[in-house]
Amino acid sequence: MRFLIVDDSSTMRRIIINTLNKLGHQDFVEASNGREGIERLNSGGVDMIITDWNMPEMNGIDFIKAVRGTTSAKDVPVLMVTTNAAKDDIVEALRAGVNNYVVKPFTAETIKEKIDAVLAR
Amino acid sequence: MGPSVVDTLQSATEEVFDTMIFRKLSSQSPIEGDALRPQSNVVGTVGFVGSASGLVAFYSTLDGAREIAGSMLGMEPAEVNGEMADAIGEVTNMIAGSFRTRMAAQGQPWAITVPTVTMGSDFYIKPHVQGRRVLIPFKMDAHEIFVELILIEPKPES
Repeated sequence: MRFLIVDDSSTMRRIIINTLNKLGHQDFVEASNGREGIERLNSGGVDMIITDWNMPEMNGIDFIKAVRGTTSAKDVPVLMVTTNAAKDDIVEALRAGVNNYVVKPFTAETIKEKIDAVLAR
Repeated sequence: MGPSVVDTLQSATEEVFDTMIFRKLSSQSPIEGDALRPQSNVVGTVGFVGSASGLVAFYSTLDGAREIAGSMLGMEPAEVNGEMADAIGEVTNMIAGSFRTRMAAQGQPWAITVPTVTMGSDFYIKPHVQGRRVLIPFKMDAHEIFVELILIEPKPES
């Protein structure tokens, strides 16, 4: 399963990748903002997106809206990982097309639960 | 009455270290005011604004920051170089974000800024307005780290 990790923090991208490695996943592509994320998606082969919210050039919400507007990737499941934890934020993300939501800080178990929940749908 | 703002920040810091850095912190008694300036070479700051405004600052020595970054990234501390600033920025971001979430649950909604990381020596953070300053010391193994809250509460309307 190939993951696209979109976050402007190289630290957070590495943490997420290390966490996914521990869960048995090994195939990743990275992007540092939404615009780069769209470019990576256009190369094809992405099975799940994990994205931050607050990023320069194109934030996570605009990125997901753009993804849902494509034909090739519109059904790719999306997990948002962010410090934005307000109820209104979560509602906005779900309305934009996010499938599930993780608030930082998080444990590997939480990431696994959220990924499993998304894939079970 | 809910937890104090200092207890809330302390809990947020301990949660970040427990879940993302895999280290247990032992907290020391908070210190009011700015008489004690931490010995540090790496400082992360995040501002907040809303029902109150101010700053959350995270202080560490270089060695402590290398340990933290190494632990987050799954690297040996000696291998950490350019990753340190981003790692400490992310730590500060998560502490402030978790703090913000907890304060919102207590009816205090805030927005937070992006983190800034300053590295070097012989510098001092001083807000330009009067506010409450509280420094929370922690021990992480052999290292001392500090989290500071600078809180400016709005004056009650007369």
